[in-house]
Amino acid sequence: MSALLQRRFPPHWPGWQRLPREARDTLFLLAVIAWTVIPHTPHLPGWTIGLTALVLAWRGLLAVESGSLPSKWVLLAVLTIALGLTYWSYGSLLGKEPGVTLSVVLMGLKTLELRARRDAFVVFFLGFFIILTHFLYSQSLAVAVAMLISIWGLLTALVLAHMPVGQPSLRQASGLAARTALLGAPVMALLFALFPRIGPLWGVPQDGVSTTGLSNSLRMGSITEVARDESVAMRVRFERTRPAQSEMYFRGPVLTRFDGLEWRPLGLPFAPAGVPERLPALTPIGEPIRYEATFEPLRVASVPMLEATSEIEPVEGFRFSRREDLQWLGERPIFERIRIKAEAYPRFLLGTSRRSGEIQESLELPPGFNPRILAWARALHAEPANRGLDATSFSGLVLRHIRDGGYDYTLSPGEYGRNAIDEFWLDRKTGFCEHFASAYVVVMRAAGFPARVVTGYQGSDSEPVDGFFIVRQSSAHAWAEYWQTGKGWIRADPTGAVSPDRIGSSIRLSAEPGLVAGAIAAMSPELVASLRSAWEAANNRWNQWVLNYTRGQQLDALKNLGFASPNWEDLALLLIGTLSTLALSGAAWAWLDRHRVDPWVRQLERLKRALRSLGIAAAPHEAPRTLAARVRERLGEQGEPLAAALDALEKQRYGRAAATRPDAALTRRFAADSRRLRGLLAR
Amino acid sequence: MTPAQAVGALNPAAFARARFRVWWQKRLPRSDTQTLTQGNVYILPTQAGWMFALTLLVLLLASINYQLNLGYVLTFLLAGSGVVSMHVTHGTLRGLTLHLRPVAPGFAGEPVVLDIVLTSPGTSRFGIGLRLLDAPGATLAWIDVPGGGQATAHVSFVPAVRGLHDVPTLSAETRFPLGLFRAWTVWRPAARHLVYPRPESPAPAPPSTRPIVGGPTRSRHGESGEVEGVRAYRRGDPMKLVAWKKAAQALETGAELVSRDTSVSARQELWLDWAACGPVSPEERLSRLAAWTLVAERAGTDFGLRLPGVDLAPEGGEAQRRRCLEALALWRA
Repeated sequence: MSALLQRRFPPHWPGWQRLPREARDTLFLLAVIAWTVIPHTPHLPGWTIGLTALVLAWRGLLAVESGSLPSKWVLLAVLTIALGLTYWSYGSLLGKEPGVTLSVVLMGLKTLELRARRDAFVVFFLGFFIILTHFLYSQSLAVAVAMLISIWGLLTALVLAHMPVGQPSLRQASGLAARTALLGAPVMALLFALFPRIGPLWGVPQDGVSTTGLSNSLRMGSITEVARDESVAMRVRFERTRPAQSEMYFRGPVLTRFDGLEWRPLGLPFAPAGVPERLPALTPIGEPIRYEATFEPLRVASVPMLEATSEIEPVEGFRFSRREDLQWLGERPIFERIRIKAEAYPRFLLGTSRRSGEIQESLELPPGFNPRILAWARALHAEPANRGLDATSFSGLVLRHIRDGGYDYTLSPGEYGRNAIDEFWLDRKTGFCEHFASAYVVVMRAAGFPARVVTGYQGSDSEPVDGFFIVRQSSAHAWAEYWQTGKGWIRADPTGAVSPDRIGSSIRLSAEPGLVAGAIAAMSPELVASLRSAWEAANNRWNQWVLNYTRGQQLDALKNLGFASPNWEDLALLLIGTLSTLALSGAAWAWLDRHRVDPWVRQLERLKRALRSLGIAAAPHEAPRTLAARVRERLGEQGEPLAAALDALEKQRYGRAAATRPDAALTRRFAADSRRLRGLLAR
Repeated sequence: MTPAQAVGALNPAAFARARFRVWWQKRLPRSDTQTLTQGNVYILPTQAGWMFALTLLVLLLASINYQLNLGYVLTFLLAGSGVVSMHVTHGTLRGLTLHLRPVAPGFAGEPVVLDIVLTSPGTSRFGIGLRLLDAPGATLAWIDVPGGGQATAHVSFVPAVRGLHDVPTLSAETRFPLGLFRAWTVWRPAARHLVYPRPESPAPAPPSTRPIVGGPTRSRHGESGEVEGVRAYRRGDPMKLVAWKKAAQALETGAELVSRDTSVSARQELWLDWAACGPVSPEERLSRLAAWTLVAERAGTDFGLRLPGVDLAPEGGEAQRRRCLEALALWRA
């Protein structure tokens, strides 16, 4: 390391153009690597990025100064430290995050070991792998564009490595790389369209589970995170009529079991595959609304469908079933974007047929938790004026209390202790939907009325983009249902009692805009709005056409091609068939190319055959001029047209203004003349 | 024992490969000009190509398992580029014309340079490497060929033994653009090249010269004899022997100083004789005679060569040197 310190600093920079070839290529590769790694900054621990930056800078310095690469032992030491830090950061060396961290570090270290061609290839292949890891975090348009540039850069570096002569310019190499990739694009499109999409090959990749979105449980505070997440949860398009914003309840997991801290659903989280579940008594009222919803990867089995969705169109590769609590479940967690078409009835009755135990469990309260709210609720119910009230009336009483009792809606309620509901209901009185919903349910249960928490999404962006209403993660919501004897489960949204704005308009707490964005927004709100909607539209197209291209879309495309009932074997056959056809046509072209004869040679061959039929010798090597002389000598005046044609051919082929292609008319005339002559001679 | 047998003694697989290679090469027609077509350009994936395929497989598995549509895009884009690169690699050689310029004779143990002209009728071609088929891969001579133009590559090799040899089999290869495939061709030029015996070094002094007896150029008056002509100045010539008038003219035209040639009297002839070489093996004799030929030519004397069955009358100059060396190269007992 002392050698490093003794160096001149900053190093002498000869200028990009005058840099030796090898140094320039190395710096270019380092820049491409940096570009590929930078988007990982938010996902990886700080030391990874710092170490990689340091290593790349060191390698760059060595390249400019033509210094010698560090010894194997130095690399081994750095690698050991990196392994230690990774273990320290994650407590493991396996899994997604440690894997990504290690591949980034290895990529950096490998640049310090670029000795042979094989080392360079290792860097390229690691680079392609790191590009893929970006897609685990985001598949947005922006990431796609950034990674396309990375691929281009890596291919350019590969091309440069295979141009050993002279000093080819970067522009030339990048042009060649782009040409290779562009010519490869049709193959890519074909494979992308036809490669059969199959499910995950092994286990569910738990690594992919995000911390946002729906989950099968509710704990105080967990929804705060969702409320601040502006990313898109789903896009909905209504066919004709659309419900009012305040009626857009997308029903997710229904949570009945309460252990004092956490709400959980009843029974299995999945509809067991193959067992047809007894249909619950959903009684639709009025006309249905037909709609289509595109869900981002949900990462749970529960699909938040509009209340009350009675039927959904089958989606190839998935089986969905409706639980008795009106929740739609897939047979496994859904890790891809799916598009579902369905019918929903905004007005409905639910659950007049009882499932044994369900109502009973909707009354249970864990002992030892929240004693004060239980006492409060029982006291309320025991008041003489309230005695004998049915569930609906009592619910109205509770909602009125929420409205008038000094409760506040906030997204940052702070930490709550063990008896969170007591604290919320009687002391602090600030919280958001999940506080209100769980407190409401506890009060109802304490008074002897069955009730449960329902989670999902409520509302959407008020204006559609491209005809799609966007539901964001920030629209995640929790509300409640109580059991009214004779009517069934009835929705009650206690949050609406305290903050009616929350219902219907989808309040979002967005992050403070940056300085520039803020300035633009101050000057021209319309510009920001139109830019944003254009971006949303582009993103939507991207999602619909690229990211949402799943098995269902593949099979739809096959249907359009005329397959009656396509399945994945048809896809595979079509793919193999197309590829074989392409390969065979390539082989045919190669065969033709091999047997292709110069058209001039072919023409002369025909003329010679005609001459031979007249009894005039014509050797393969003889030129038209020689033949013309022989024709004149043998046939005299009679042969003049033939001789003239041969002279003309000589001129056409070798003369000053030589033609590029043989003259077909001359060949025909020559053939006709020779036939006539043959007739004359035979007479 | 042929090289193939020598290898076979060690490794049967290598023996089979070597035999196959010999058989294969014999099938190739010899020609000094070879146009590369579909028929004589071969292509196979390189080790890096297999590694690339493995990478693609890993990317594909990851895309399937994590259901990443962009992962599919990446995998298939790379696969498409790989397929295109295969065609580009093949196309870099296909259509190229290789032509071998006449090969200058050389000495055994000294490098012989083959000048190979590559002509590209169509597009520019990059990263073409030429070498002897049997040479290690690291000795490739790299060259780019401009579109519609020509470029000359120089491939050198060191012949071990004298004689008239076939130009060794050559191979041209390329990995351009992505290095995933290696396309190559095997070319047997028809030309033969002459290899003189390796001149012995250091060689003993050649046999002493002797004056020509009874020849027309016999000396008349010894040292003070009349001037018969001029010759190039040699170090040690006395000042009075320099032909100043002639020298002035010669210097004007850029030639060297000239001296009066009084050596007519000393016009010597030198017999390079097989028998005078001493008791060494025939090849060593040929080596020694080659070294003497060079010395004699440099000294400017007339020299003749006597080998069993060969008798070249004494004469001077470059032509005689070539004749003698050829005779030495081709001599057979």
